[in-house]
Amino acid sequence: MQPAINDDKRMILVCCGTGCLANGSMEVYRALQEQLATTEVQVETYTKSTGCNGWCEKGPLVKIMPDDITYCRVTAKDIPEIAAKTLQNGELINRLLYRDPKTKQRVKSHHEIDFYKKQHKVALRNIGEIDPASIEDYIQRDGYKALGKVLEMTPLQVIDEIIKSGLRGRGGGGFPTGQKWKACAAVDASTRYIICNGDEGDPGAFMDRSIMEGDPHTVIEGMIICAHAIGASSGFIYVRDEYSLAVKNLGIAINDARTRGYLGPQILGSQLSFDIEIVRGGGAFVCGEETALMASIEGNVGEPRDKYIYPTEKGLWGQPTIINNVETWANVPVIMNGGAPAFAAIGTEGSKGTKVFSLVGKVINTGLVEVPMGTTLREIIYGIGGGIPGGRKFKAVQTGGPSGGCIPADMLDLQVDFDNLTKAGSMMGSGGLIVMDEHTCMVEIARYYVNFLAGESCGKCAPCREGLKAMLEILTGICKGEGSEADLDFLREIGETMQIASLCALGKTAPNPVLSTLNYFRDEYLSHINEHHCPAGVCRDLTRFYIDVEPCTGCGLCAKNCPMDAISGDRKEPHVIDQDKCIQCGECRNQCKFDAVKAR
Amino acid sequence: MAADSRPIKQKTFTNILDQYPAEKRYILAMMQDVQGEYKYLPREGMQMIAAYVDVPLSRVYSMATFYKAFSLVPKGRINFKVCDGTACHIKGSNIIIDQVYQYLGIRPGETTPDGEFSLETVNCLGACALAPAVVANEKVHPKVTSSGIIDIIKSYGGQINATSN
Amino acid sequence: MKIRIDQQEIDVNPGETILEAARQNGINIPTLCYHEAFGGQGMCRMCMVEVKTAHSTNLVASCTYPINEVIEVHTSTPVIEKARRTIIALLYRTAPQSEFMKKLYQEYKCVENQLEINENERCILCRLCVRACEEIGSSAISAILRGTEKRISTPFDEASTVCIGCAACANICPTGAIELSQTPAGRTIWNRTFAVVTCQRCGQAFATREQLDYIAQHTGIKGSESKLCDDCRKKNLAAQIEQYAQ
Ligand SMILES: Cc1cc2nc3c(=O)[nH]c(=O)nc-3n(C[C@H](O)[C@H](O)[C@H](O)COP(=O)(O)O)c2cc1C
Ligand code: SF4
Ligand code: SF4
Ligand code: FES
Ligand code: FES
Ligand code: FES
Repeated sequence: MQPAINDDKRMILVCCGTGCLANGSMEVYRALQEQLATTEVQVETYTKSTGCNGWCEKGPLVKIMPDDITYCRVTAKDIPEIAAKTLQNGELINRLLYRDPKTKQRVKSHHEIDFYKKQHKVALRNIGEIDPASIEDYIQRDGYKALGKVLEMTPLQVIDEIIKSGLRGRGGGGFPTGQKWKACAAVDASTRYIICNGDEGDPGAFMDRSIMEGDPHTVIEGMIICAHAIGASSGFIYVRDEYSLAVKNLGIAINDARTRGYLGPQILGSQLSFDIEIVRGGGAFVCGEETALMASIEGNVGEPRDKYIYPTEKGLWGQPTIINNVETWANVPVIMNGGAPAFAAIGTEGSKGTKVFSLVGKVINTGLVEVPMGTTLREIIYGIGGGIPGGRKFKAVQTGGPSGGCIPADMLDLQVDFDNLTKAGSMMGSGGLIVMDEHTCMVEIARYYVNFLAGESCGKCAPCREGLKAMLEILTGICKGEGSEADLDFLREIGETMQIASLCALGKTAPNPVLSTLNYFRDEYLSHINEHHCPAGVCRDLTRFYIDVEPCTGCGLCAKNCPMDAISGDRKEPHVIDQDKCIQCGECRNQCKFDAVKAR
Repeated sequence: MAADSRPIKQKTFTNILDQYPAEKRYILAMMQDVQGEYKYLPREGMQMIAAYVDVPLSRVYSMATFYKAFSLVPKGRINFKVCDGTACHIKGSNIIIDQVYQYLGIRPGETTPDGEFSLETVNCLGACALAPAVVANEKVHPKVTSSGIIDIIKSYGGQINATSN
Repeated sequence: MKIRIDQQEIDVNPGETILEAARQNGINIPTLCYHEAFGGQGMCRMCMVEVKTAHSTNLVASCTYPINEVIEVHTSTPVIEKARRTIIALLYRTAPQSEFMKKLYQEYKCVENQLEINENERCILCRLCVRACEEIGSSAISAILRGTEKRISTPFDEASTVCIGCAACANICPTGAIELSQTPAGRTIWNRTFAVVTCQRCGQAFATREQLDYIAQHTGIKGSESKLCDDCRKKNLAAQIEQYAQ
């Protein structure tokens, strides 16, 4: 069992999510263990590596409990000092504390800063607080309590509770979860399957990964609860093979759950027998689509099929199947524990609960954030995200990944939920929120997504395959200044055909990034076409960088960072760019602190 | 030659296949394990799997070319994965990809003739806060700039020929 | 069960697809990837129709949509026609060498576009060839790669060891995309040249050695029967029947 934390005991949590690992948190963790093994510290200490705290920007993060101290950007070199001062004497090390950019004050705990204060953690409740490889940690935070409760209930009562909670699927479509379970339970069949969709193919999102890595038991518990509700005896977790840590932690969790009798025959002495198998995906965005995913589990090429008969009736191997997203599963134990009304009290009329977003791009605080449904984009981007770096102008936010759209600045007060995003021509998707500023070209972004999808479409149906190929060709042309206005009509025509005729939702939603940018940023398309000018200074064929002599202080930062040595100038004198050498990478513009590098 | 290319041995395949029942649904897992062993999916591996599970080779080949996780050719000693997820893209990952081409002459999916370097693009690595990110074998390089990538290539022994085009 | 297709009331069996029901009643719905031998594949999406149920109106692929309730179907609406036209326009551009596609392109009065054309290509990826090969039992070819790169090929683009050279794929292909060359010396298809067997009666080359072996192996039909071409075999059979009848 976990020792209770009291005054002479310290728990040190080292974030070992992907972001922090990239910043060297493993070295920090090792240094800490070594330090504590070799030096005497008066207090008893426990070290843990946790999943992503969602604030990778400031990583590696080290938290010390129960004092609730959060140290940012910790390196292995800082460890002796942390041991000597903080652990031994309870002294704070100012330099490692977060400095609030507004108040200029150092902040002791991450709980006190806007980035966390404005969040509401439900699905992410345990991540960063527990060691994902420890089932005790999970149990200590109410883990498997919901399961015990559910086993006392009838399946119908469980389904009813989920319906009442208003939970909608977090994997993109937003389908009411309880209704799905009910439909599946109603089908007459001897075998039913449960699937957790952990394929997370959205190229700018990692919330599912974070849950599977940082709190695998919550997903497992959610699935067991569903097994009781619909009467299933086997389940599958389909995870991207690249997510090796997720695969590892889920594997440990499944084993531990078996050992403790949460999985396997007659779970906790009840009639329920259920087990889970991990299936490693092969790296295909389209396999996130449920029928493609099932084809993949069955050992086929991951191509979708028409869904005129739902998977709840005929899914995996032709049997009734429930498939839900990782984050959806993570909410289930919370609903069963706290009751549907408590869950339904969060969020908007049509979208209950919270949503995890991967807030990234041109925003100061990037990371994973969880907010109640209905929070405005402004609150997320400015309140939590801290706004746009470098004082630049916010241009748009892309939601929903490759199936979503771009929402312009004048819609910042949009309350984010399933229905509002759809109305705005975008969608919730998996929850990517990519912030774009004036240096992001909307035509190029549309091209980026179309290019991504052209490679990720399964290529089975003609509208999607041929439509994407044609759109990519047209958009690439526009980015090179070779487009015409007629192209824009053709893009729309292709897009509309794909929306109605494509086989699966990949093709049906693929035109969204194009159509939404055409709607909100037509001017930018026209600049490329008529003036051969990329207003954002991104499309390299249409961009020339030059240095404005007025603001240039001659600091030489640009010249130092130019990969082509294209910039010259004397110290404290305005610099110039040699156009023959310049490759338009824009690094000088990124580096200049005085906004002296301009694009034309 | 790539440093970790190993001789193709029937035994290695048999050891992997023996862990799975001869059922269609395990083809993907078998291919992953074979690739895990060789860092690519050798043709002999596909043939063995097809024979073991008793499915046409054309079907295994379809799968191997459909799923992006598989490489049908050996990878270089150093495999650069440039993240081209959305966050990394808008922070200039395409420029890094161009730079690698400029200096090593390889595009995504390619390997240098001496077997030293290969390049691939990947989707979000979960390190968006550190965009743009580049992974060299297992090591993540955060916030890589257009000049930074040159230093990274050099640090793995790449010959930088600044005049190459 | 009675449903309506384009104002016409027709009788259907539950589970039957809209396309099957329509065809049986002489109602035409355009298709590219459908073949009665294999059923609907849902790939080309030319067969889209509008379906009204009690609750909603949807566009569906008629070749895969099973009729399980009373519905009303419209096989042609302005929206559907426009989508079909766009699909043809795009497919024509990937398969400009195909006479078949060219005809459709003209028939649908597709608007000219500036898209690059894929010069030597005829394939529209309907995969009928793959299905035919599967049906024969060879599965020598399959759809490989994915997305816009998808194409039909043998493993590793090499001569396939399981191909029997029967040319079922080439015969079913609507666009003539599969190269087949037939000379007295042999038949070449999918990068492999097969020796041909000539009909003992008329001297026509009619099958490959592998094909006959395959048939022998799988059906037990051996002997002189398999040494005749289709035509001569029929004649032979007819002669036998005549003899028998007399
Ligand atoms: C192209 C495509 C990709 C998808 N990718 C994912 C994914 O990565 N993860 C996911 O949970 N759902 C994904 N979905 C949605 C699933 O098909 C399915 O609706 C979802 O897993 C259902 O779970 P939910 O009801 O809990 O959202 C994708 C759908 C499409 C069309
Ligand atoms: S970084 Fe900016 S201020 Fe400094 S030399 Fe370059 S252009 Fe001038
Ligand atoms: S080769 Fe012919 S039959 Fe095969 S997919 Fe292409 S068009 Fe269809
Ligand atoms: S990995 Fe540490 S905060 Fe994200
Ligand atoms: S987009 Fe590159 S790490 Fe997320
Ligand atoms: S005939 Fe129905 S999709 Fe091709």
